[in-house]
Amino acid sequence: MRTTVHEVARTYGRRPEQVIFFIISNQAFAIAADAVKEIRSTDGLAGAVAECESPEVPKVHHFIERTNQPYYVVNGCEHFHLAVTRPSLALVLRQFRVALLVDSVERIGEIRAVYPLPLAFSGEERIWYRGLAYVEDRITPVIQPAGFLSREQLDHLDRLALRSNRSQLVEGAVPA
Amino acid sequence: MTRSGDSASSFVLLELGTHRFALPANTIVELAPPVHLHWFPHTSTIVCGVIVRRSRIVPVYDASPILGGRRSNAHRFYLIGRRGLGKTSELSAIPVDGECELVNGELQPRTPEDPAYVTGRVAVGEDFVSVLDFESLVSHEEPSSENRNPAVPS
Repeated sequence: MRTTVHEVARTYGRRPEQVIFFIISNQAFAIAADAVKEIRSTDGLAGAVAECESPEVPKVHHFIERTNQPYYVVNGCEHFHLAVTRPSLALVLRQFRVALLVDSVERIGEIRAVYPLPLAFSGEERIWYRGLAYVEDRITPVIQPAGFLSREQLDHLDRLALRSNRSQLVEGAVPA
Repeated sequence: MTRSGDSASSFVLLELGTHRFALPANTIVELAPPVHLHWFPHTSTIVCGVIVRRSRIVPVYDASPILGGRRSNAHRFYLIGRRGLGKTSELSAIPVDGECELVNGELQPRTPEDPAYVTGRVAVGEDFVSVLDFESLVSHEEPSSENRNPAVPS
């Protein structure tokens, strides 16, 4: 007997929400639609990014300026320890200063519920995911937007970005 | 699953890796039929994915590498038990080949050489089969930690 999406949703008693399904390295993920401010092509970002390399946060190589604040470009493959692919899109998050590089957006749709991640999962995934979605006979992890960069990582990157901006100002200064 | 008697000391015999093991029957909820194993990125050792069973999302542990076998994608059934996790518990599954048998017997004490996840032995015919403690087994570290994001099971 096959378990339906409706039965699982009833069991866990959760509410539906709109999500964006996207792909990184052939793996599907979902993120709440209202957690994403913009979806940009990586080609479109190319002229707006500045370098921001640090061995302490190897998944970030660049940042972009949005509303006078640095948004850090997180490589999804490195964040989830997946095989490296060539991303074509960046999901710019709404409440966190993160632009997530993804391979593609699959679709925007509704999930009936976000189910808790089983306690058997005790590693980094507890930070990465809010829970799991069960849609069209497929279990898809639902992203925790706060899980891309810790407070300490953001502080560290902010210092790097500030230094990078200052050096650009100095380079661009016209001598008297 | 075949039944060969009823007793307070019942064990489910199963094949994991290349060996036969036993689990106390009172820790087993059901033997689930073949269902799709869902995988997504994670870093938890010996968890190989989740299945959906009776409207529940059930994590699947592949204990074969710990028990001397190799990770296999050929498993067809899932033995589902309940794992205690502090004050709570959750259903947990182990992939098996489907040849499970219910036997009765007296639990013999473990030997000093037995790993922590073996609680004793039970006589089955002329052999003695190690009885596993599910909780110790699934919280046991693999000999190799090269388990980060294992290959997607077929």
